[in-house]
Amino acid sequence: MKKDVNKSAKLKLLLSRIVVYGILIFLAFLCLFFFYLMFVNSSRSNAQLNTGFTLIPGGNFLMNFKNAWNDGSINIPVGMKNSFLIAAFSAVLTTYFSALTAYGTYVYDFKYKSLVHIFILAIMMIPSQVGAVGFIQLAFKYGLTNQLWLLIVPSIAASAVYFYMRQYLEATLPLEMVEAARIDGSNEFRIFNQIVLPIMKPAIAVQMIFSFVGSWNNYFMPALLLNKAEKKTVPIMIAQLRSADYSKFDMGKVYMLMLMAILPVMIIYIILSKSIIKGVTSGSVKG
Amino acid sequence: MVKIKKENKKKSISYAKWGYLFILPFFVVYAIFTLYPQLLTIYNSFFEYYRDGLNVVGPNFVGLANYKALFTVNSSGYIPLFKFLGNTVWLWTIGAIPQFVIAMMLALFFTSTRLNIKGQQFFKTVIYMPNLIMASAFSMLFFALFSQVGPVNQLLMSWGVLDKAFNFLGVRVTVQGLIGLMNFLMWFGNTTILLMAGIQGIDESLFESARLDGSSSTQVFFNITMPLLMPIFIYVFITSMIGGIQMFDVPQVLTNGIGTPNNTSMTLIMYLNTFLGVSKNYGMAGAVSVLLFIITAILSTVVFKTINKK
Amino acid sequence: MKKLLSAILAVLMVVSLAACSKPADPTPAAEEGKVLNIWTWNEEFWGFLGKYYADEVVDATTLKKGDVTIKRTTYPSDGGAYQDALDEALLNQANAAPDEKVDLFLAEADYILKYTNSEATMDVKSIGVTDFSNTYKYTVEAASDAKGVVKGVSFQCCPAAVIYRRSIAKDVLGTDDPAAVQEAMADWDKFNALAEQCKAKGYYMISTTNATYRVFSNNVTSPWVVDGKLNIDANIEKWMDQSEEFVKNGYTHYTSNIWGAEATEDMFGEGKALCYFGPAWYFNFSMTNAQDKEKGSFGDWAICQGPQAFFWGGTWILAATGTDNPTMVADIMNTFINNEEVCEKLVRDEAQFSNNQVINNKLATDSTYGSAFLGGQNDVAVFAELAKNIKFQNITQYDQLCNEGLQKYFTEYLDGQVATREDAINNFKDYIKTTYPSLTVE
Repeated sequence: MKKDVNKSAKLKLLLSRIVVYGILIFLAFLCLFFFYLMFVNSSRSNAQLNTGFTLIPGGNFLMNFKNAWNDGSINIPVGMKNSFLIAAFSAVLTTYFSALTAYGTYVYDFKYKSLVHIFILAIMMIPSQVGAVGFIQLAFKYGLTNQLWLLIVPSIAASAVYFYMRQYLEATLPLEMVEAARIDGSNEFRIFNQIVLPIMKPAIAVQMIFSFVGSWNNYFMPALLLNKAEKKTVPIMIAQLRSADYSKFDMGKVYMLMLMAILPVMIIYIILSKSIIKGVTSGSVKG
Repeated sequence: MVKIKKENKKKSISYAKWGYLFILPFFVVYAIFTLYPQLLTIYNSFFEYYRDGLNVVGPNFVGLANYKALFTVNSSGYIPLFKFLGNTVWLWTIGAIPQFVIAMMLALFFTSTRLNIKGQQFFKTVIYMPNLIMASAFSMLFFALFSQVGPVNQLLMSWGVLDKAFNFLGVRVTVQGLIGLMNFLMWFGNTTILLMAGIQGIDESLFESARLDGSSSTQVFFNITMPLLMPIFIYVFITSMIGGIQMFDVPQVLTNGIGTPNNTSMTLIMYLNTFLGVSKNYGMAGAVSVLLFIITAILSTVVFKTINKK
Repeated sequence: MKKLLSAILAVLMVVSLAACSKPADPTPAAEEGKVLNIWTWNEEFWGFLGKYYADEVVDATTLKKGDVTIKRTTYPSDGGAYQDALDEALLNQANAAPDEKVDLFLAEADYILKYTNSEATMDVKSIGVTDFSNTYKYTVEAASDAKGVVKGVSFQCCPAAVIYRRSIAKDVLGTDDPAAVQEAMADWDKFNALAEQCKAKGYYMISTTNATYRVFSNNVTSPWVVDGKLNIDANIEKWMDQSEEFVKNGYTHYTSNIWGAEATEDMFGEGKALCYFGPAWYFNFSMTNAQDKEKGSFGDWAICQGPQAFFWGGTWILAATGTDNPTMVADIMNTFINNEEVCEKLVRDEAQFSNNQVINNKLATDSTYGSAFLGGQNDVAVFAELAKNIKFQNITQYDQLCNEGLQKYFTEYLDGQVATREDAINNFKDYIKTTYPSLTVE
């Protein structure tokens, strides 16, 4: 009798595993397919790309790489460096200060606390395009073009990241833990940096990824504010290749640079996504 | 009165200043880099202020004239703002429903100790990959795939499904479907990770005790996972909705900026973008922005209220 | 908190107001600057400048000529970044330091009037560019403001022709001789009649309805905007008529964008469309499907004037008001229109159709010159003749988006996605109204 129950449970598990793996493989295939297309396109010459579509890679992968690398209008290592600086600093600042702000409104009681919370939620609803236009006007007025920091510092005040951190704290941080730390005599900054931040590690990793990807792929604002060759970012360089004159226009180079632009973000993603792990909270609460 | 104050002091004495201190950087940066430009936008919405070529027209104070203009019926006989709001909500919905359902499913799969999925790191990486591709690159691939001489048409014709090439990028149903598909592909991995991180944050002991009580996995989901995941789920839903209302680059690139066909894929931000294009119409763009803010605020409040009631 | 916010705001407002009201400093340019700034969106002219004008190429963004450093500022044209940034720079030109001022900038035919009709560009005759006798007239007209003041020059000329498929012409007309083919499509009536003949043989006259658009829009008798009101010229209506008829009768293969995969599909060897429309750069660089070694149709093409002469593209160099290098600005302009040695190199080494008639005519009569892609035909001879008839008239600064918009919205009607032609035109009008607040749209 017991054996039968075990058997049917095992069978059920096996079946659900088959279904789950089926779904996962299908979705993975769909996602990989577009990557494969990018790869195929980056291995074809401009003329081949114009002739239409194929699933077989062309023989121009190295050629496109060389052409993109040696293109006089862009400097890929410099672009990668600038993009990385902006994306990395933005990601660190936005997650740290959002967590700090969220902790501030979650743990402490002060006069306008709920007003502050609602205010930040409200500004999250203002489309980013609304401020962007004024931002660019002001940047030009004060001669702040070609300043990388101008694209980094505003990320300190990211209302959507704040919102996530705040929700995460609500779901995971018991206030007794803070009280306990206070009794131990820790000062408030230390409590935040040494006890709360580790608990928020998964949340920070998640938002770091999103922020990094977002700034890495951002074109609109940097394109208007950065014009010196040594300050340009990768998306600007892709656009630069796309606006090449007809005698130099080469879609193969464009796809190649797009493919190259994906690799660094993928590495960052793989590193950070390992931090989205289980068990930090339960351990600390018990301890 | 004095007594109460004393009691309060015991609990939160000297800590309030920390609260102010912790939120200070956010507000300083916000005031300088974001609030000021945003106020400028709102201020501009009451002015006639644009460019005609290189000549700057205005700013001339016009009161609510810009708002009035936005509620005026156009040559085609409708109020564009309403139509484009409808489009935007619809386009968001068709991408968001599969996005949430699949993301929730995947998040449960990945966190299930019973299923114990192998190769998690691989799957988690792969499903997030579409988000790493720039929207413009993604659209270029879709253009190539679905053009009238593209492989999708060729396949369908060789299978006998179609006898003539179908204009996928010109017909309403397929254009909207492709926009939904692209948004889904770009964002379901993102949502999965958010929900997963939320589930990981739930105290493992709660699941253990539920299992010891003999709860089924459905019961665990509705009684433990969902309620505890609620804050994160609200976050995911609201930010996805706000992102949806601000939907721009996918339909912009896929429809050549005009919301093909017959303005059925024109979103609110594309509309805003038309004002901001060559004529830098800060007045009208400001008015659209203010209305956009109001719309978003109303929708978000409704969502907050309905979810919190439950 | 609130106080702090309002204090910061107040400070910012005051600062911005102060910056706003700062008067333009009148700079009596006694001595010329040592840095010349040129704004571009691509490499083309910058490359020519390095090869044919500068003494030394320092690096990718710096040249040397005498003791003057020539620097370029490049923005991509994607998403309008180039024009947006250039506009901001020109509007702030008065406040910029002399070595930071824009001296020269490039502009395309589609939006050149925005700059020539503004105070941001200056009369080049006043700085020493006076001899336009060898240039093509339309290139000077294009660089002039409403009063006829010349603000810049072009280093190229872009007359366009019908580029037809020799093998299809032979099959349909019995000959591929340019003179005979020209005779068969000398006006639009003949063109439409030839379309019927093509259909009878299983071919298409054109690959997409949008291919003929520029010919019609280049030959309008009234501009897009008259007295501040949107105006749809009769010739644009004629294009709509033709497109509708071509779709109905099956004379066109597709209705797509001219750059789309559909429109270029017919350039392959098994392609079925007789005509493409374009200047030399179009068949030299953009007909890659025709030039494909395996699937292409290299050498199976020829050009003739077609129903109406028109031009397409071209880049102009404009002088920015407030430049501190007027002498060098004039020198650069003169080099690219009047230095015959340089102009000849542009034609021979750079596949350009130069803006110097003497040089172009020299090559036109050179019997040894011919294009292999065009089956040996001397294209310079055809273009030299065509360029004389081009007029730059009835053009406004609103043209680019009017032209693009009309094609996009009308194509939706051709595709059956909009019920009537009026609906399509109404969509177009709504778009123009949103895009250009200064225009009256009825």
